[in-house]
Amino acid sequence: MSMQKAVDNNRSSNAGLSMDNQEKLLADALQNVRQHAFAMKRVLDQQSVMEGLKHAANMLGELRTSLLSPKNYYELHVVVVEELHHLELYLTDEFEHGRGSHDLYEVVQYAGNIVPRLYLLITIGHVYIRANELPRREVLRDLVEMCRGVQHPLRGLFLRNYLLQCVKSLLPDTEEENQEASKTGTILDSLDFILLNFSEMNKLWVRMQYQGHTRDLQRREQERRELRILVGTNLVRLSELECVNVERYKTIVLPKIMEQVVSCRDSIAQEYLMECIIQVFPDEYHLNTLNEFLKACRELSASVNIRNILISLIDRLTAYSTRDGSQQNIPENIQLFDIFSEQIAEVVKSRINMPPEDIVALQSALLNLSLKCYRDQFEYGNKVLENTRKIFDNIALDTQVQTGTPAAKELVKMLKIPIDCYDILDVLKLNHYKLVLQLLSYRERHTVCMYIINSILDKETIIPTAEQVTQLFELLLTLIIDQTDSALETSRQTITNEDFVEEQNLVARLYNNFQAPNDPDQQYHIIKICQDTFKNGGLERMRFTYPPIIMQAYALTFRYKNIREQDEKWEKKCQKLFQLCNQLINTLTKLETNDLPLRLYLQGALAASEIGSENAETIAYEFFSQAYTLYEEQAGDTRAQSASLTLLIGTLEKVTCFAEENHSTLRQSLTQAATRLVKRPDQVRTLLLCTHLFWSAQRLNESTQKSEQVHDNEKVLACLKKATKLTTQIMDQSVQVQLYNELLNTYIYFFNQNLPDIDITLLNSLIEKLQNEMSKISSNENDEFIRNQIQKTFDYLRQQSQLEKFQGLQINN
Amino acid sequence: MDLLGLGSKVDIDFLLDPQGQRKQIEVKLDDNTNKRILQYIYYDGEDVGGTVQIKLKKNSKVEHQGIRLEFIGQIEMLNDRSTVHEFINLSKLLAFPGELTENTSIDFHFPNVEKPYESYIGINVKLRYFLRLTIIRRFTNTVCERDICVQQLSQYPEINNSIKMEVGIEDCLHIEFEYNKSKYHLKDVIVGKIYFLLVRIKIKHMEIAILKKESTGSGPNIYAETETIAKYEIMDGAPVRGESIPIRLFLGGYDLTPTMKDVQRKFSVRYFLNLVLVDEEERRYFKQQEIVLWRKQEKVKQKNSAKQYAHFEPPNPAIKPEDSATGISGSENSPVYGPSSSGNNSDSTSD
Repeated sequence: MSMQKAVDNNRSSNAGLSMDNQEKLLADALQNVRQHAFAMKRVLDQQSVMEGLKHAANMLGELRTSLLSPKNYYELHVVVVEELHHLELYLTDEFEHGRGSHDLYEVVQYAGNIVPRLYLLITIGHVYIRANELPRREVLRDLVEMCRGVQHPLRGLFLRNYLLQCVKSLLPDTEEENQEASKTGTILDSLDFILLNFSEMNKLWVRMQYQGHTRDLQRREQERRELRILVGTNLVRLSELECVNVERYKTIVLPKIMEQVVSCRDSIAQEYLMECIIQVFPDEYHLNTLNEFLKACRELSASVNIRNILISLIDRLTAYSTRDGSQQNIPENIQLFDIFSEQIAEVVKSRINMPPEDIVALQSALLNLSLKCYRDQFEYGNKVLENTRKIFDNIALDTQVQTGTPAAKELVKMLKIPIDCYDILDVLKLNHYKLVLQLLSYRERHTVCMYIINSILDKETIIPTAEQVTQLFELLLTLIIDQTDSALETSRQTITNEDFVEEQNLVARLYNNFQAPNDPDQQYHIIKICQDTFKNGGLERMRFTYPPIIMQAYALTFRYKNIREQDEKWEKKCQKLFQLCNQLINTLTKLETNDLPLRLYLQGALAASEIGSENAETIAYEFFSQAYTLYEEQAGDTRAQSASLTLLIGTLEKVTCFAEENHSTLRQSLTQAATRLVKRPDQVRTLLLCTHLFWSAQRLNESTQKSEQVHDNEKVLACLKKATKLTTQIMDQSVQVQLYNELLNTYIYFFNQNLPDIDITLLNSLIEKLQNEMSKISSNENDEFIRNQIQKTFDYLRQQSQLEKFQGLQINN
Repeated sequence: MDLLGLGSKVDIDFLLDPQGQRKQIEVKLDDNTNKRILQYIYYDGEDVGGTVQIKLKKNSKVEHQGIRLEFIGQIEMLNDRSTVHEFINLSKLLAFPGELTENTSIDFHFPNVEKPYESYIGINVKLRYFLRLTIIRRFTNTVCERDICVQQLSQYPEINNSIKMEVGIEDCLHIEFEYNKSKYHLKDVIVGKIYFLLVRIKIKHMEIAILKKESTGSGPNIYAETETIAKYEIMDGAPVRGESIPIRLFLGGYDLTPTMKDVQRKFSVRYFLNLVLVDEEERRYFKQQEIVLWRKQEKVKQKNSAKQYAHFEPPNPAIKPEDSATGISGSENSPVYGPSSSGNNSDSTSD
């Protein structure tokens, strides 16, 4: 029972594949192939089949090489197969003309080397089946069996691939045997054939993994990946058979494939083949074999990335179920969600070492499925989220997922899914969403919150109720109040941090989507909730978040005014809103700049004036005086001061609800403030503005309850004179010229307004003055601007000089 | 074609098949040249008859002491030309002493000639049948010989078991092989399979060879010659445990004779299948198994082509004989180790 062993002394030392001369080896092999192929074709032209076969065998001998890398072997194989095709065509042609030899199937088997022999056998078998020379079923069986002789992985894979390629159109695809021809075979023969070929190829493919040195492992795995399509072609063939139906797939095809896939215990093969199954077979098959497929998944090797496989399947079915925009593709008896949910739980359970990110990714896929396939059944999505939370709680209760980890990234991805496929109002119905969000650390929470806000803004989703706003705020809490786990970041949460500014601007913008269109009271609730929420956010956030509330509150007062007929309490409600605003703005006065609260106060004054409710004057005065106080406090920055004063003047000019008493107090205060400004040009300009307070500004006539313009000639003139006088005192000539021009413009305005005491003579003197001054200044580039301004004034005057009113106007330049 | 006697004044020719019905076969004439001649095929018990034509050279006459025709079967030892062993010698006097004056044809007939052995031309031995015509003369006889080819047809063997065996090298390689028969006719097909039970060596390929062993002489003067008739690769690459490799080898294309055992105690010709596994270090592991070859009566419609084209790829020249290493024979036909009965098919896809 023992074999004899003899040592051949001529042992040829097989120096491994040298990678350097691969190209040369390939070139040589190709050269030989071409020579033999040429000889083959030549003798075939002379009708010499036997000689042709001899040359073909020589050519095929090149495929016996062990020296080529898989890629180069492939190159060689392609060329050889192409040349072999000539032989096949020749022989087919012979049979079509009734000249075919009948014994070639035997003759080629005398070839001494197995690789050329089998290639020839396959070629002849192919020809004979087509010529009905030999029974199809038996030839197929014989070929696939004989191929076992090639156990070398690379050569075997390519040989069997050639086999598969040759029989492509010959595989019987009928239920019944053809009665006329003998042994044509049925679909079952085809299945046997392909499944056997598949499992043999897979075994060869897997075997590659274990051949050669371990240091080449990486290269080998790469090479195996390059060859995988050869194995996968078997599955493609199976999927192309028309007689394979769901039933056959379920009872024959899938079990056989799975048996091979599971038993090969090779992770590269398992990953690829599972993926391949998912992609090549129709969706209906998968739907009907979900349990079988998923059960097999659990049996895969531990190093297989099961996550990708499952996700791939889920994604495919999700896409299928939502194709054509309907959800009817999934038969009712298949509880897709339940099956996946259970099976995934099983998979997770069976793999103790599964990394959390993979678990999350699976849950993500499941969530995607539930949201897309069962759009209206929120409980499914909710359940997934709940499970996810549980999984983490089981690992460690109430701990956050560390920032930057893969698990954290996967969770972020997961949380984005509902945002993408739902609008926020539906997301709010998933009450476990928040709990999953809380698993994340600050940075990831921040990412998700920003994503939510951007999504709302992009989709222009309107959030109509206070309750939903509350829920939303619960989600977005990370952005709204200081977070305990963001200690590092707190110091950076100021106006000087661009990111923070951007973030808070978004939060502020979000506010515009809180709209209760037909329900002002609801809107009022929303405002209250925002206030309650934002007040915890700290001054740095309020800077951004309060203004929209305040503006919204002002807007709401207008809405109340519009429905004053239906709502008798409207004035009270407005009153409340103004009080609220006052309170909010007051908070903002603690900021380092007064500009913002000042403007908000002024806006409030304007709003109150517009509303014109009973106590509007009181409110407006309160707001205005607050603003004035802020202005007074604004020491130091002269430029800001003059700007603020301009705002105050402008606002007062527009507010109409003040009675004379309040109005005169305010306008005189402002005029005085103007003269108290530090810089002369500022004084002049604000004074010029103040003239309007005494002219077009409106006060409430208490007797008529109507507003009327002030029209105080003397005060206007006083202001103008004061301004003129101040202008003369200015040292900088170009500024002075500029101011003269502005002065002239104001005079022209009031001349047009028919103010007494302003006549053409006055204007002429001003024009002369201006022209004189102008000629003095140097004509450098800075003054170009001023010259233009003045030119415009003169252009205007020239135009007007035609009118009767402007008769006597003297302009010479 | 004709062997002429010394000082020949005559041309002698044998007409063995005037109707042209007898099959002929190409036979290698001599070891030294590659010339082939056609010989008629005869079977055991068949009559041998025909006509001898004696043609005289112009205007000559031949005086003789009688003309004798012999039918001889003999074994020649090629390494020792002196030893010729005749096992058949039939003799006939065709003409009484007299004088030949013109071309003469003489019919002859040996009825039911016993031809117990197959014609054979080996390395050290030659078994031949021939007709010898002798014109007996005073000084030198004129002799002419004509060889015929005898083929020995056999019945279908009554017992023809398959060959099953498990062989191996401990902890290294265990295989089980099966050949479907132990006796094959010359146009037969060997079908079998190799099943790998244990593989711990890196096998490069596996081949099966048909070995012909010719032994001549007896006692201390035995000459054994081994010739590789065919070398046939049946597996490429390294199998793993559980693989089953098919064998199918057509015999018709090779130059084979029936197995001959102890012919006249002079020589034997036996055939072996040699299964050889070669590992990556070119070490060869082999197992030889004798098979019996026999000649089957050919069907009326002969398929000649296989024979004709069998060598479209020339068989590998015989390599160094491998029987230099000692071998231990396996247990033939062990029911336990037969592949069909083996219960250890752990790999479900092995079949």
